[in-house]
This record gives sequence, structure tokens and C-alpha cells, in this order.
Amino acid sequence: MGKSGYDDPGFYSNRELSWLLFDERILSEARDKQNPLFERLKFLSISASNLDEFFMVRVASLKDMINAGYDKPDIAGLTPIKQLKEVNKATHELVEAQYAAYNRSLLPLLLQNGLRVIEKHEKLTEKEAVYVDQYYEENIYPVLTPMAVDSSRPFPLIRNKSLNIGALVTKKNGDGELEFATVQVPSVLPRIVKIPSDQEQEKVVILLEEVIERNIQKLFLNYDIVCSYPFRIMRNADFSFEEDEAEDLLKEMEKQLKKRQRGQAIRLEVEQGIDERLLAIIKKELMIPDEDIYRIGGPLDLTFLMKMYDLPGFERLKEKGYAPPQPVPELPVDCDIFEQIRKEDILLHHPYETFLPVVDFIRQAAKDKDVLAIKQTLYRVSGNSPIIAALAQAAENGKQVSVLVELKARFDEENNIVWAKMLEKAGCHVIYGLVGLKTHSKITLVVRREEDGIRRYVHLGTGNYNDSTAKLYTDVGLFTCSSSIGEDATAVFNMLSGYSEPLLWNKLSLAPLWLKDRFLHLIGREKENALAGRGGHIIAKVNSLCDKDIIEALYEAGAAGVKIELIVRGICCLKTGLPGIGDKITVRSIVGNFLEHCRIFYFENDGKQEYYCASADWMPRNLERRVEIMFPVEKPELQKKLMDILSTQLKDTVKAHVLKSDGSYEKVDRRGKESVNAQQEFGRRAIQAAKDKSEATQRRVFIPETHHE
Amino acid sequence: MAVKTFAAIDVGSYELAMKIFEVSRTRGMKEIDHIRHSIDMGTESYTTGKLSYQRAEELCRVLREFSGIMKAYQVSDYVAYGTSAVRETENTIILLDQIQQRTGIHIEVLSNSEQRFLDYKSIAFQGEGFLKIIENGTAIVDIGGGSIQISLFDKDTLVSTQNMKLGVLRLRDNLAHLNASIRQYENFLDEIINAQMAVYKKLYLKDREIKNIIIVDDYISTLLRKKSINNEMTGYAGAELFEKFRDVYHKESLSELAKRWDMPEETMPLMYIALIMTKRIMEIMGAELIWAPGVTLCDGIAYEYAQKNKIMVSTHDFEQDIIACAHNISKRYRGSKKRSETLEQIALTIFDSMKKIHGLGNRERLLLQLSTILHDCGKYISMTNLAECSYNIIMSTEVIGLSHMERQIVANVVKYNHMEFEYFEEMSRYGVTDQASYLKMAKLTAILRLANGLDRSHKQKFKNVKTALKDGQLIITVDTNDDITLEKGLFGASAMFFEEVYSVRPVIRQKRTI
Repeated sequence: MGKSGYDDPGFYSNRELSWLLFDERILSEARDKQNPLFERLKFLSISASNLDEFFMVRVASLKDMINAGYDKPDIAGLTPIKQLKEVNKATHELVEAQYAAYNRSLLPLLLQNGLRVIEKHEKLTEKEAVYVDQYYEENIYPVLTPMAVDSSRPFPLIRNKSLNIGALVTKKNGDGELEFATVQVPSVLPRIVKIPSDQEQEKVVILLEEVIERNIQKLFLNYDIVCSYPFRIMRNADFSFEEDEAEDLLKEMEKQLKKRQRGQAIRLEVEQGIDERLLAIIKKELMIPDEDIYRIGGPLDLTFLMKMYDLPGFERLKEKGYAPPQPVPELPVDCDIFEQIRKEDILLHHPYETFLPVVDFIRQAAKDKDVLAIKQTLYRVSGNSPIIAALAQAAENGKQVSVLVELKARFDEENNIVWAKMLEKAGCHVIYGLVGLKTHSKITLVVRREEDGIRRYVHLGTGNYNDSTAKLYTDVGLFTCSSSIGEDATAVFNMLSGYSEPLLWNKLSLAPLWLKDRFLHLIGREKENALAGRGGHIIAKVNSLCDKDIIEALYEAGAAGVKIELIVRGICCLKTGLPGIGDKITVRSIVGNFLEHCRIFYFENDGKQEYYCASADWMPRNLERRVEIMFPVEKPELQKKLMDILSTQLKDTVKAHVLKSDGSYEKVDRRGKESVNAQQEFGRRAIQAAKDKSEATQRRVFIPETHHE
Repeated sequence: MAVKTFAAIDVGSYELAMKIFEVSRTRGMKEIDHIRHSIDMGTESYTTGKLSYQRAEELCRVLREFSGIMKAYQVSDYVAYGTSAVRETENTIILLDQIQQRTGIHIEVLSNSEQRFLDYKSIAFQGEGFLKIIENGTAIVDIGGGSIQISLFDKDTLVSTQNMKLGVLRLRDNLAHLNASIRQYENFLDEIINAQMAVYKKLYLKDREIKNIIIVDDYISTLLRKKSINNEMTGYAGAELFEKFRDVYHKESLSELAKRWDMPEETMPLMYIALIMTKRIMEIMGAELIWAPGVTLCDGIAYEYAQKNKIMVSTHDFEQDIIACAHNISKRYRGSKKRSETLEQIALTIFDSMKKIHGLGNRERLLLQLSTILHDCGKYISMTNLAECSYNIIMSTEVIGLSHMERQIVANVVKYNHMEFEYFEEMSRYGVTDQASYLKMAKLTAILRLANGLDRSHKQKFKNVKTALKDGQLIITVDTNDDITLEKGLFGASAMFFEEVYSVRPVIRQKRTI
């Protein structure tokens, strides 16, 4: 190392801080007046739930490292202690900003638009108060479990992520000694309580915890309530460390396991102005230091805003500029998908184009008498997934069905086990992941016996086989029956079944064995071309960029004069404006209505352009500890489609943020440029394409078929 | 459906492999799947003569999976062959029966020469590339784990084949004993290889000009067929490329090489051995071009199947190769070409006219032909002990394409041409346990003896012989003006055995042309 001159940690950003900048970009959408009000609620909710996950996974992980005495610096040269310190500062600022947006912008706007959120139960009118009290008696009270703490009763277990109301109480007729009592705000009840309103134009809501607070006396009849405040904790509860950390950490952790405080509280949120005596008790019991306490100027846990988004009657305040998924012109409803694929390779762009053909692909294969086998990798699927049902059906129809189910998919383990069992029962051959590797690739292979022999149909994608998220995530997928990809796909499944690697790969590149080297080669080739005066150009669209080798290669290529345009949604450890590179490397991030998820790579290759799509990001975990697939897109029409996606995103002036050399992100300077919202543009194009197609089929001139398949 | 699927299974010493092919008369063969599972059976089989319980379990488990895969592809036919690891188990028959009971897969064991012949067939079926390369002097170097096989071409027929215990795994183990570091490999290997190759060169190569080497192996072929490494001519290489490969071995660590070449690291030492060996062989032969068609035994199995079922026809005549090999052996032992030709002509004439009676096919005809060619090879060693010497020479010389049993038939036919025939009980003591083969020996011996009797004077008097079957007699009409008293007189002994075997009495008629 060090050959490149770009080895210095100063040339890299810390991934946690970079992630927080991403969450900030989401928050900025909540602050953006251009967005409809209710969409802004949604963005705020997403930024809050993202932050929760960040704590549980990343902050917990940093704390584990510190507890284990691990002090190896990261890519940016920061030790875990240093990282945690900076993360802490940044998260406090982020939370401040979240509530500033909520209180100063969103609440007043909601009121203006006919939704009155009663922030404090004290502000209820008499009539409203009567209603909520009755609601309390009938709906809330029966499910509450109040708990008081005294010498005979220990401090109760406060559940991870649960919202609670803590109170200081004194015994009636007692000596006035302060005792601690707490009650969990039940998660089974809706957080938002609707109150009937006198005015027809106005809706009124109050949050559940306010209703409980108002009636808390009724829970502790033998006590006087001195004060009560909501609080919420986050624990380092589940024992899972992030696979991104170095392997030596894993070993270290095993040794240190005993020292680790399980279920350690890592974050405490309390309402601003909480009684310091009450806080002192909670703090002492949870052993939580000051820097992990967040004093919140508003309701705790903003994820309820997602529910608020769903309140009926506010459609006018929601986004309508994005079209629903459109039919794919090459794959009309009820077509024979196999026949269409035989005609040409088909590239799908979700969610602008519907995901339905992918589901239908498996459905048709399940019923088709000529299909011999269906093989698929599944990472995260929706509940009640039609794909699972089709696979089970296929097995029952006597097809050979092999499914690799990744049980290690974070947060989804339980869900996965249930339907994996179901598939097994139906007669599928289920492989429960690979030892030491997560299978993140998205590939389906259908083997069909046709007149002229066996033909293999392959679907390769950048997104999971999940029909629900396919409506929200942007992804691309390729249908092909090219025999070279078919051979590779067969080899992939042979490898996943435990057989040796093939002697040769035709088209696909796989992680963890070959993919990283392939990327380094492709980037290196652009560098060589640039050095030889042939120019060089890379466009890459990924979700995260934090692999040091890749970044270093990009720096070297940039320094050699390769034009590198990166579209990185989330974490980006690469810096812009470095000496010797300047503006040769640019980074932009698109945070929009849909979650940007597709990974597309373009390499100029001295005029012989190459395009690839992949399931992998440029992260060490993708390239080294997961099974991932990168596939080339070679048909010129489809390459054009990919270039359209990339170039439109590079032109986006509405949802794009640009990474500055100081490490901050700023929205694109729109002066002198036409306004382009890439995601809206893709939607419009999909509508147009579907329309062109249906017009073509509705023309009144008959088109004779000149040949028969 | 016109397209059928066929599975070829190779139960190798270090790997279980299955290839699925589509075969059709119109489109030939197309590989559609290649499944490989690493399993080291060789080490156990070579050292203990048996497979451990765990190894046999693993073998059965994978074969069961193979059977499932075959079902999924609706495979209509399969052939499974075991090679040296299976061959060298002591309890082969028990093992194979166990496998068949538990997996439903029937495995047949290949002899070395059959196995090499299949490899060779798969090369020959490469068509164009093969025909072009053998226009010039060519050697096939088939590098295995335990041994290597060098086969030479003269014009377009294979003329000799020789096995040498220079397999890459064997050499690696030897080098490991010496504690040699990878950098020392080249010196050690040069010595080992040179010693054997010097003998080979003297005996077989002589002044043959070998321009090209066709290589069959698991390492170099993979490397030469990678586009990223050998961009210009996939599968072909000249000496300079090998020079380059050797140099990188001196410069880079094995793990760097594995990465650079996209191959598993543990194969890197084996690759190095294969590279050094090929390089040395190239130098010794003075060859300029290497061709790695990248075929495996599975391909050979499939070609054999396609050929047998007349799905594909090769432009190359494999029988000619076997015959050419036999001629070469005969030449080495100073056999009389003239006499062989006469014997061959007479014997085959008899064979053809007796078709209805002996019920033997083309393959046996070939064995008879080989027997005539090799009928006197033992003379080279001893004129009196001709029978035993001929037998031993044939049994210890490899004739490519013949199974062990076929070789035994040829050797015995030659042997009993010169001595009293022995019956089954007697012969089974020498390892002939198969009645069908025994019968073939008897029938072919009878014909060869008769032919031999007709040419007792070695003067080729019966060269233009005609035979016809008539009323339980084999009428042998000879068109010659020579005196055939000797033949007629000594004819009785060989005629008796013929009659015993076929219940047909041979009768000589002389037709004189005036």
C-alpha cells in the first residue's frame, strides 16, 4: 500500500458520519417546502426510524468495540472511541434538527391545513377532554400494566425501543418519600388518537402517551403523582455484530464476550424539561452516561408520523407527481413470457415499470409442462409472497425447484424460516444459506426443454424478489435466454449447492471470489486508457461506497485523468476535490420519493463501452463476505436504456445533492438549468412507452406476421 | 423429441464430475451442465487399497445428488466410468455393487489405455482444430495425477503411446518428501523428467519430428483457455508464453498467482509442475505449438456414446489408430511384415465367411487382426519360447483403445497359436474368469491357427485365398501354382482344433491357373 499516494486516512471519510449525512439529506426533504406537506411528514418519519436502526446496529457496534478494547482506526484513521464521540455530537445535532422541523415548520402547517395536533393534554378543550377520558377508560386502561418501584419491587425491565411514561409518586398518607413508577405506552394501540371535531374542516388528534399522562393518577390510586414524563430507551439488545467489522474483531469479541454487558442501554430519550429527580433515577438504574441522553423538545419517537401520513382526508397534501408502476412494453399482460424473452433481452426498470412480469415468470414456469427446473436465490421477500406460492406450486407440479434462502438477512430471520419450511414441505430443495457468507445475489434460472433442446431463461436483478418493496425501490432487472449467461447461471447454482466452481465464467462476475478484482480491473483499465491519452470515463451508481481498495483505485484513475461521475445514495467514504484529482471525480446523491437502490456501472473502455448491473455495493461486506453477482448488459438498446437512467440522474436538479470538498452535501445549484426530477422523469417515460405500445396494438391497420416462431 | 439428454459421469481420483449433454443427430452434442465435486479418493485407494467408510458415504451422497440432477434434466442415458482410484481398490466389485444398490448408478471401471483413448477421442472429435494440427507431427500429452501418457502421431494416425509415472500429484508428493521449495521445483523436476524422457526419446521418438503438442490436463488447459490470460489465441500457446508463466512463478507468491489467474490457490503448485513438465517435453521434442482443447474425460465418454449410437461420426478412423499402434509394436520387435499381411488376409477372409457360425462382431474382427499383426513378436526374445514371450510382450505393452480384457484376448490368441489350447478350468487359473471372453479366445485362436497352418512355409502361397461355407465344410480355395504339399500335410493339427471349436471341417482345394 501507499504506492498510490492516496493511502492517507485524511483522504477518506468515516462511514458512520457519512451515513448520518445521508439521514440529514432525508431530513432535508422533510424541510423542503417544494414537497407536499404529508410527504414531508413521511421523510421526517423515515429519518427517525433510520436513526433508530443506526443506533441499534452501528452505535451498538462501536460500543462493543470499545468494550472489547478494540482500538484499530477505521479507513479515516479514527479509533472507535473517537468515532463514537463524533457520532454522538452529530446525532444530537440531527435530533435537534428533526424536532426543529417538526415544531417550527410542520406543526403550524398542519394546523393551517386542517389538522390540529394537540401537543399537551392540558390544551384539550373540555369537550375533547371528556372524549379522551372515555377513550382511556374503554380502550387504554385495560391493556396498561403500571409498575411501581420500592424496596420490595425491583426496577422493571424497560423494553428496547418502547415508549414509557415515568412518574415520581408519593404514598398517600406516607412520609412523602419519592418513589419511581412507570407504565409502558402500549404498542398494540394506535399512537394517534383521533378526537371528534366540531368544525367540519378540521381534524383533531392527540398522541396516546398524552392521554395516558392525563389519566395516570387512575393507575396509581394509592399514590399521589408528583410528576410524569415520557421516556424511551434503546438497548444493545440482540447479540449480533455487524459483519462489516474486521474479522479480528470477531475473535476479540468472542474472548471478551463475558465482559460484555448484555442489553446495555445505549440511548435514552426524555422529554425536555423532565424533572431532574426523575431523570436521576432512570439514569442511575440504566447506568447511562449524560452524553447518551437526548432531551427532546416534542413527542418521542417520530415514527408515528408514518401513521399520520395515512390519515384519511389529506390526499391533496400528498405527492401525486409519481406515476404508479406501468406495464412493460415488451411484456404485455397475459403474454407468454418465455416467447418474449426468446425474441429479445428485456431490461426492466422498477418501480416505474411493474414488477409483475418477474412474478409471472415464476408463475408461468410453475405451470409450464416443458419446464424442468426452477432455481432461485431469495434474500428478503414480502409476507404472503406470490413468488413463494408459485415456487411451492412448481414443486408440487413435479418441477425440480431449488431455492437458496438467506436466513441471515437482517431483521427478517423469523419470517424467512417460516416460509422456507413451507417450501420444503412442498418438495422444494431448500438451501439455508452458505457457511460464513450471506447470499445477496438476485438470480433466477428456469430450465426449459424445448423442441430444439434445453433452453435456460435467466432473470438477474439489483433488487430483492419482493413484490412490495419493488413498488418503492428503484431497481433494474434483466431477462435473457442468452446461452452464455444461462451456462453461468447454472454454474452459480452448482456452486451454491456446494459443487466446485466452473472452469470458466462467460459473463457473470461473482463475489466474494472474483467481483472485487473485476471492479479493480475495470477501473484500472480506464486509468491505463487515460494515461495513454485515450481518455477514460466511469459512471457508477451505488448505494454505498466505502471499500478502501475501490476508492483508492478511483482516486488513481481520477488522478490519471479519468472522468468519474458517482451517484451514491448513502454512505460515501470517498472525498471530492482532492489534490491532483480536483473535479475529475464528482459525487451526487439522490434522495427522492423512491428509495434509490439499483447499482449500474458504465466504463468507457476506449470507445467499446461496457455496462454492468450488480447486486453489490462498493462496500467491503458486499465484495468480501457476500455472494453477489454482477452481470453485463450488452444489447445496444438496453445499454441505451441504462445510459438514459444514468444521464438523467446526473442531470437531476431537484432531488440531487452534491458532495462538496469540505465533506458536506448541498443541493444542486439550479441557476441556468432546467428543472429535472429524475424519478418523475422516469415515471413519465414509462407511461409514454406503455402508451406507445398500446397505441401500436390498437392501430386499425392489420399487421401481417411475416414469420412464425 | 429428437433431442435427447445424456449424462457422462467421471468417478476420478480427486474429483467426481458429471456433464450433461444434449445430443441430436442434426445438431450433434452440446454441453449444458458441468458439475464437479472435489473428493480425494486417490490417496486412500493408492495407500490402503480401500475407501474409508466416510469417503464411500460421501461418494454415494454426491452420486445420489447426481442422480437427482439427471432426473431433473430428464436424462435418458448415462455412462459412468471409474478411473485409477476405483481401479486400484482391492474390493472394487463390492464397492461398485454397493454404489449401485445405494444410488442406482452403475459404474464401470476403465483401464488406463481405455481412459486415455477416451481422452483422445474427445480431442479427435474437436474436428477442424484437430485435423489441422495433426497435419504436422504431433504428440498428445495427457497429464494425470498419477501418470502421464504420451502418444505420437505419424501423419494422421496414432502410432505409439507410452505411460510414464510422472503425474503431477505423484511428483508433488515426491517433491514434498524432499522438502523442496517452489523455487527449487524446476531443478528437481528437470532431473526427474529428463531421466525418463531421455529413455523415451531414444526408444520411441528417435528422429520423428514433433511440431505440435496437444495437451490434456486440468491446469494448463484451464489457464490457456482463459480469455483474460491468453487473449490472442484461446487454447493455444507457444514456448514464449510458457517462459512467461515460469517467470511469474519466480516473481509472485502462490496466492498472488491464484488471484491473478482466478484459480484456487491449492492448485498453483500442481500448475507449476504441469508447466515445467510441458515446457521440458516441448524442448525435448522440439515442439513449437501447444494446443489445449480443454476436454475432459466426460467429453470422451459422451463422444464414445455419440459414436456408438451413430449420433455423430468422426472423420477420424480410430480403428486405424489401434492397428497402427500394433504395427508399430510389431516393428519394434522385428516382426515380419510380409507374413503378418498374409496371415491377416487369410484369417480375416476365414472370419468373414464364418460370420454365421461364430456370431462375432467387428470388434472381435479387430482383435483378430491385431493378433495377426502381433503373432510373432515374442521371437525377438526367444525363438523357442515364442508363446510365453509373445504373451508377455503384449500384456506389458499398452495398446491404446483396448480394454484390459481385450488385450488379454489378443495376448492369449497369439499365445495359443503357438501352443496347445487350454480349457476353461485351466485358463481360469491364469485370471481368465469370464466365459464370454474365453469363448472369443477359443474362436479367434482357431481361426488364427488355421491361417497359420495355411502359411506354414511362410512363403505366402495362400495369399489369394477364397473361402466358402458349404455343407458343414469350410472350403478353402487357393489360387496358386506353388506346391502346397507341406501345407496340406501339416494342415491336420490346426484343422482339428478348428473343427472342435466350430464343428466345421476345413478343406483345402487348389486351383491352378494355367
